[in-house]
Amino acid sequence: MGFNGTSPLLDQRGELRPEDFGAIRELSMNPIGDRIISAFFSPGKETVDFASFVRILAHFHPTETSRSRDGVQPEPANSRTRKLKFAFQLYDQDRDGKISREELLQVLRTMLEMQVTEEQLQSIAERAIQEADLDQDDAISFDEFRKSLEKVDIDHKMSIRFLS
Amino acid sequence: MPSRTGSHSPAGTGKSLPERGLLLLMVLVLLEGSVLPLGAASSPDISHQKNVDNHKVEHEKNYTKKAFPVLDLDYHHIQTPFEISLWVLLASVMKLGFHMIPRLPGIVPESCLLITVGLLVGGLIKLAGEKVPPVLDSQLFFLCLLPPIILDAGYFLPIRPFMENLGTILMFAVVGTLWNAFFIGGLLYAVCQIQPANPSELHQLEILPCLLFGSIISAVDPVAVLAVFEEIHINELLHILVFGESLLNDAVTVVLYHLFEEYSAAGTVTVLDGFLGIISFLVVSLGGILVGAIYGILTAFTSRFTSHTRVIEPLFVFVYSYMAYLSAEMFHLSGIMALIACGAVMRPYVEANISHKSHTTIKYFLKMWSSVSETLIFIFLGVATVDGPHHWNWTFVTVTVILCLVSRVIGVVGLTCVINKFRIVKLTTKDQFIVAYGGMRGAIAFSLGFLLKKEQFPMREMFLTAIITVIFFTVFVQGMTIKPLVELLAVKKKQEAKRSINEEIHTQFLDHLLTGIEDICGHYGHHHWKDKLNRFNKKYVKKCLIAGERSKEPQLIAFYHKMEMKQAIDLVESGGGVNLPSAVPSTVSMQNIQPKKPPPAKPVEKALPKMTKGREEEIRQILRSNLQKTRQRLRSYNRHTLVADPYEDGFSELLIKKQKMIELEKKIQHMNNYLTVPAAPPDSPTMCRARLASGRGTDFKPAQQQRGNKISPDPQAYSSKPAADRVPTIQVDLASPQSPDSVNLMDEFRRADQQEEDQGLMMKPPSGQSGPNRPREEDRGREQQKMTRCLSDPGPSADEEEEDEPFLP
Repeated sequence: MGFNGTSPLLDQRGELRPEDFGAIRELSMNPIGDRIISAFFSPGKETVDFASFVRILAHFHPTETSRSRDGVQPEPANSRTRKLKFAFQLYDQDRDGKISREELLQVLRTMLEMQVTEEQLQSIAERAIQEADLDQDDAISFDEFRKSLEKVDIDHKMSIRFLS
Repeated sequence: MPSRTGSHSPAGTGKSLPERGLLLLMVLVLLEGSVLPLGAASSPDISHQKNVDNHKVEHEKNYTKKAFPVLDLDYHHIQTPFEISLWVLLASVMKLGFHMIPRLPGIVPESCLLITVGLLVGGLIKLAGEKVPPVLDSQLFFLCLLPPIILDAGYFLPIRPFMENLGTILMFAVVGTLWNAFFIGGLLYAVCQIQPANPSELHQLEILPCLLFGSIISAVDPVAVLAVFEEIHINELLHILVFGESLLNDAVTVVLYHLFEEYSAAGTVTVLDGFLGIISFLVVSLGGILVGAIYGILTAFTSRFTSHTRVIEPLFVFVYSYMAYLSAEMFHLSGIMALIACGAVMRPYVEANISHKSHTTIKYFLKMWSSVSETLIFIFLGVATVDGPHHWNWTFVTVTVILCLVSRVIGVVGLTCVINKFRIVKLTTKDQFIVAYGGMRGAIAFSLGFLLKKEQFPMREMFLTAIITVIFFTVFVQGMTIKPLVELLAVKKKQEAKRSINEEIHTQFLDHLLTGIEDICGHYGHHHWKDKLNRFNKKYVKKCLIAGERSKEPQLIAFYHKMEMKQAIDLVESGGGVNLPSAVPSTVSMQNIQPKKPPPAKPVEKALPKMTKGREEEIRQILRSNLQKTRQRLRSYNRHTLVADPYEDGFSELLIKKQKMIELEKKIQHMNNYLTVPAAPPDSPTMCRARLASGRGTDFKPAQQQRGNKISPDPQAYSSKPAADRVPTIQVDLASPQSPDSVNLMDEFRRADQQEEDQGLMMKPPSGQSGPNRPREEDRGREQQKMTRCLSDPGPSADEEEEDEPFLP
């Protein structure tokens, strides 16, 4: 596990701080690196302990299709819905349950890294919202998000194999 | 095509009978035509020689005067090309014919029908007493018939699913084929040895020829797989698995074939030879890929400079790819893998460089050639069956067929058990069944068998018979039954829907996310390497291989533009159809010329009449796409291109569009009644158009502004020179198809009103209402340009002007 295995992350207190994440070089090159980092920390808290760290990473465990569905068990962390919810929260920084146009624009801006004009970003964002927005509230809710990704194999895409 | 039901109503049969009769007649004529020349070909040149001798003799004696031949028949002169053309024509007419027969294409796959036709033709030729030409001659097959199909497959290979499943595909291709070859060869030898009662010829069969036969028959054939899978539309995963396997097993086949062929004479294969064989395999496959990649990069590099000679762009793609194939074959490397690598490597760069027309040309030429090739291959297979010297041996043939099936099933099941341990999305039993059942053999096996020399392999005929039987079995039985089986097992079908921009955005987002998570975990997985490759690509490779400004264009934008263009083309081709998907870029995202102000994004539709959003969008789209035809100097977006001509201009199309525009105008006219904007002076449409034409929104000083309620179909249109910066030069072009379209602009402005921006641009006589309206117009104008820019033809230079003549004379 990276927490203990990757040297930059070692911290004697057994907790991680945002700076520790920042030490990972590749993460700083990642356009949405800071979003990922902030996803580990619950809102308001400055550190993340091992348990929470693992809980976040558990989202990326490969889905097992043979899990029995008795309503008693709480939904596993790596189910498709939970994976999508995690991704959704990365878009939705203000946690209002919707991806507004501005949030989408921010994401697009960081991903496209200044190579495009503002107008193009606007048109793309506009089109994306138009495609996904079914209840015409000019924002993408979680259900709409999920629906627009129904053809994508999330189980495959959001799984890291070695975590089994 | 009129839909014909299966009912035997007199009307139905009456309609189809003359057509069928005509078809039959054509076929017969063709056959006779082909039979006779082919027969004449065999009649030796003896008579010709005699004539020459006579002539010479005569000539020496005296010049005897003959009557001047007014009409002469000289068949030999044109014989070979004529025959080739005849065959191609036959193949194409057959293809036409099948689709005219009702219901047949649904039941029987085309490949079966074509083989049947081949059998018929072969039979006819034989009946006519002529010698059947050796049509499936290996030279012809491997050098002419196979490359187009493989290139078509390689160029349009879906890279993402291919790469994601590469491990599985390689396992099936390499290990699976090896297993098949050894299993079949070995067991055949064993069976041949046990013939206690009657000492049959089979005893003479050595182990090595058996293994050679096994290696020939074990390879899954891409042509057959393509032909059958194309019609059953299964989901992408299975398709790419079987298809990828059929492509990649070529290397294994090549190595095994050469290995066993070399050493059958010697009679033994040592361990050293085996070891060398493994090394040879690596060399063959990696070498083939390397050769293909080199040629691919060469093509991409060449296409960077083709901005001035766009007509020959497709030629580079074809010639370089063919040379890649030939070069690989020269070194006995895997030509198929070279072709695949070449096509896959060159595609992203070439598509960024070439014009849209060239892209269409390449696509259609590839599809045409591969289609004709495939048809010819199957017909020839039939002809060769009739012709080839056959040697039927019940035991051998039946055992071969059974062993093929058994080994395939065992191989697939066994490999899947191993593979599933490494896969995230496991292969289910249904998947395994389809993969096993889809393992068809085809013409490659036959040609390889044909290549064997009779002296070395006395059993050659028996081999050929067995190969043909297996091919027939797989193509006919498996080909015909796979479709109902797919239905029966409810295998997931291909999802026809196009990719939405949402999917693209989110997929990229998830890619970044997963890369980040992998980095955190310190695990260098799939995403990490893909990300590294992308970075390398963006930083170095794209700069070299893509011309001009396009090298900096991020993938998302390219995708977005492609979608826009496609949608616009679809819409116009369907004549502005009623049903428009709601996902159309609206004009909300208007941006000011002063970039600092963020646009208030609120759709303001209250004041407007009740027009459905779909209708509105539709109109906008029509206008936008038609406006592309104007030559405009486009602004900021980094291409120095102008013209967008996403589809061929045809007069009839334009006329139809014109009519539709007029209809549309009439409808819009109704809506005008709701508006309160005063009527504008009649020449304002021109002004509006002009403004658009110039493309410089800000600098514009429009003299009189307004738009009018009236939509008078203004016969005037304009053509603006690209150099027109400040003042729009309006030239009247009477015959231009622009006019009806452009007129609607104004209404478009009014209609699709969604944003209030006050720019304070240009205004001369600011009338009260025109104030807020005018900026909107500006926005519309700019937005139009942007949209047109988005839809514009991605070719770099201003020389595009000469190439395209958007205006009719």
